[in-house]
Parts: sequence; C-alpha cells; structure tokens
Amino acid sequence: MAGVKKLTTIIMAGGKGERLFPLTRDKAKPAITFGGIYRIIDFTLSNCVNSGLRRIYVLSQYGSFSLDLHLKLAWDIMHPDLGEFIYSIPPQQIHTSRWYRGTADCIYQNLNLLEQERPSHVLILSGDHVYQLDYNEMLDFHLSRDSDMTVAAVMVPRVEGSSFGIIKVNQAATVEDFLEKPADPPGLPDNPDFSLVSMGVYIFRAEVLVEEIIKDAKKKASSHDFGKDIIPQMVGRKKVFAFNFQDAGGRPRYWRDIGLLDAYFKAHQDLLGSEPAFELFDPAWPMRNRPLVLPPSKYVAAGSPVSVEDALIASGCLIEGTVRRSVLSPGVKVGPGAQVDECILWDNVEVGAGARLRRVIIEDGVKVPPGFNIGHNRRADAQRFTLTENGVVVVPNNVRLEE
Amino acid sequence: MKNILVVDDDEAIRILLQEELTDEGYNVLTATNARDALKMVETEPLDLVILDIRMPGMDGLEALPRILGLKEGLPVILNTAYSQYQESFMSWAADAYVVKSSDLTELKDKVKELVER
Repeated sequence: MAGVKKLTTIIMAGGKGERLFPLTRDKAKPAITFGGIYRIIDFTLSNCVNSGLRRIYVLSQYGSFSLDLHLKLAWDIMHPDLGEFIYSIPPQQIHTSRWYRGTADCIYQNLNLLEQERPSHVLILSGDHVYQLDYNEMLDFHLSRDSDMTVAAVMVPRVEGSSFGIIKVNQAATVEDFLEKPADPPGLPDNPDFSLVSMGVYIFRAEVLVEEIIKDAKKKASSHDFGKDIIPQMVGRKKVFAFNFQDAGGRPRYWRDIGLLDAYFKAHQDLLGSEPAFELFDPAWPMRNRPLVLPPSKYVAAGSPVSVEDALIASGCLIEGTVRRSVLSPGVKVGPGAQVDECILWDNVEVGAGARLRRVIIEDGVKVPPGFNIGHNRRADAQRFTLTENGVVVVPNNVRLEE
Repeated sequence: MKNILVVDDDEAIRILLQEELTDEGYNVLTATNARDALKMVETEPLDLVILDIRMPGMDGLEALPRILGLKEGLPVILNTAYSQYQESFMSWAADAYVVKSSDLTELKDKVKELVER
C-alpha cells in the first residue's frame, strides 16, 4: 500500500446516461438502482473503501441531487476530522461559467482541489461500472513501473474487439497505441486471441495529470475526454502502461460498463445462478449499500403454488406467485398466480394476481394490475414502453398501467 | 498591431513595461488590479496578458483561470518577483512564468514568442 496516503481518488459521476433513458430521465446514471439493493456507484465506492481509500471526490453534474441524496443516505460513513471524506462536487463555476465539457474538463475545473491536496498520484474512476478491484494491485503495478499513467484494461476476444477502444501493448505492458473501434484489433503479445479494452480506470502521477489536463484545456479541437484526448496524446511521449485486469489463471475478470439498457439487463442476469459471472456473496469484498429497516421477505402460499428460482430477493418483499431469474428490490409484491420471469423490479413494485411479466425492467412504485401482461407481445409493448434491441421492456414510473 | 494587457498594482512596473513594449511595436493597455483586468479581457481585443501574482483583492493565480475561462487560448505570462509560485498547479495554466528582473530580455522574448504563435 505504499503511497496510498498520497493518493487522491476522483470518481466521475456527471454523465447524462442518455442511452439508459428512461431510467436516467430524472437521476444521475451512477444513482440508478442496480442488483436490487445497490446503486451503480456503490460498486466503485465499495472497491475504494475495501481498498482502504478514504479520500474521495465524486464529480457530479447531471441529476446531481439523486446522487447527493444517495451519498448522504448510504455513504455518510467518513470522518472528515480524521482526514477522510466523500465529497460530491458539481461544477462550481468559480473560474468559468460553463458546465463540464468532458471527463478531462472535470479535472481542469477542479485543479484547485489537487492544489489543496497535493497528492503524489491520482486515481480516476467512473461511477457507472460494475466490478471488484483492489486498487492497491493496480497502484503497486503503477509504482513498480514508475509509470506516468496506468490504465486498467480488460481482455475481450480479439474478434469482438472492433466495437471497442483497443489498447495496443508490448510485452512489457507499455501502451503503444490507442485504437478506436479498429477493423483488425491487435492481439496481446502473449495472448493473440485477446485484445485489451480500456476500463476507464486510471492512475496518474499527479504532476503529469495536471500538465496533460492543462495542455488539453488549451486545445480548441479537443473533446476534453480522457479516452479520446488525454490518453492518445500521452502515448509515445509519456510512460503509459496497461494494467491487465485478469485472474491468476490469465482469464479476464468481470467488468461491465453499464452504458446501455441491454447491458444493464445483462449485468443483472450475470448476478444469478449457482456460479454467477459476478459474485455478490464474497465476505472478503463486501458491497456496501443504503441500510434499510425492513422485515424479512415473506413467501406465502395462499392456495396457489409459490416458486422462486435463480433470483435475488431483497428484504420486505411479499411473494405469492412465481419468480424466475429475476432481481427484486425491497418491498416488491408478487401476487398469487403472477409470473415474473427475467425481470428487474425496483423498490415497491406491485405485480397483481395473475399478471405475467417477461424480460421487463420496472421502476420503483409501479403497480401492475391483476392479469396484466408485459413482455409477451412485442408490438403492443413497443407502442406503450421503451423496448430494447434485445427485446427488454422498460416501464418507467411516470405511466399508469390500466387494466 | 498586437494588443498586450499589463496587469500590475505597482505603477513603476506598469510604466516601465508600457514604455518598453510600446518601443517594441505593441499597443499596451494597463490594469491596476485583477478585477479591472477581467473586465478588459471581456471587452478588449487582446493578444496577450502579462499578469502579476501578488496584488491586493484578487491575486494573479486566482485571476488566471478566470481569464482563460473568458477567452480560451489567450496567452498569459505570469510576471512576478517570486519564484515559489511556480510550484502551484494553478500557475501551470499560464503559457510562461517569468521572474521579474531589471533585464527585460526574457520577458520580451516570451512576449514575442507567444504573440507570434
């Protein structure tokens, strides 16, 4: 853990999350419900706390109140008098009257924070990723190579690499090139069937970060983005390394960017089953969330059979029907004879008796009338709701479902 | 003719720089404090700012990002009697940092380099 005291952590949490609409229509993307009892940012914050990092700035912008509220309710655990904190910072507009123009501009507009902190290194994270990483592993890698900037990267099969930003590395893990959606992605030197994709997780030597951010801020043509502008301008000029996020067997570890509704849905499916792709049941790496005072969930067989298979059920639920491959937030009610299949139901959703739901995401508080069907008729669903490419239906809570 | 704004609370420095830079062929405007300077950055067509750091009211390091916020890409030279501000991250946003000296060669060279860039 050498150098941790001199490490400042900054979490980017200001994006609008337009591709997650309607879930993000009134909230910041990092503040949306995930995995029943979490908000997406809980994964990154839990990684920080589990890694012993307790000096954290969260840069917010769009829908910042939803994020502030969550940080207050779930993460008011630091003691600023001991030098630890989680501070949420919207654009302060002290030096300029504009909003954040990109991830790099977030840092530029907050250079005064780095001036006050004077860290040796800066860890830059994103508030909308799901993964478990001990940042000390990455920091040790960064320090051992005397790196100016280290980017965490995960392997994807080379044939799938054309839809990502790909990092070309040499045998020593030095970054040689950044390629945006290359037609023929380069493989890894020791694993040619796989390519490296940036995770948007960076450790910078603080002085280098400041230099590069200022240089970028003066470029009119820049989009002021770490991935698009800062990293490419450093490759070849600075010591840039890629930290391969892999397990001891050389397999890619679990990391997901929750950027699209289908990715949001798929990442929930990854939580389910006896050997889930992403394991929440790891006592060594607890994921914190907002503490709630709720009774245990109840499973009541009132005449009709109750069945729950491959599901995550939060506290305070009442299940009288069938639930399969689904994730239920606190206080959800599933009535007698109702069928909930591959669904994500947010807090206090009520599914009426005999209703049938298949591949549906429902926002908090929605009441599905008895006998109502969603997810069984593509055309009807598309007329009423958001329907994704993969056939997932999204029901926001600003609609009223009529029988 | 290129327009240069000299921001300094010290009258002797303002007069010196105005005379010397006018001789070099520049049109020189002056401001006695950062607040007036910010107004001029907004209203005057400037090609360069020479900015003192220690000034009453708002200092140069506070004014610098505001100047850049108002006129993106406007070159700024920090011109101060003190070298220690070079360590401040905020000073890194300037295009040059010149420690005040009776010999104006370095400052003039930087001015020339930046206005012609």
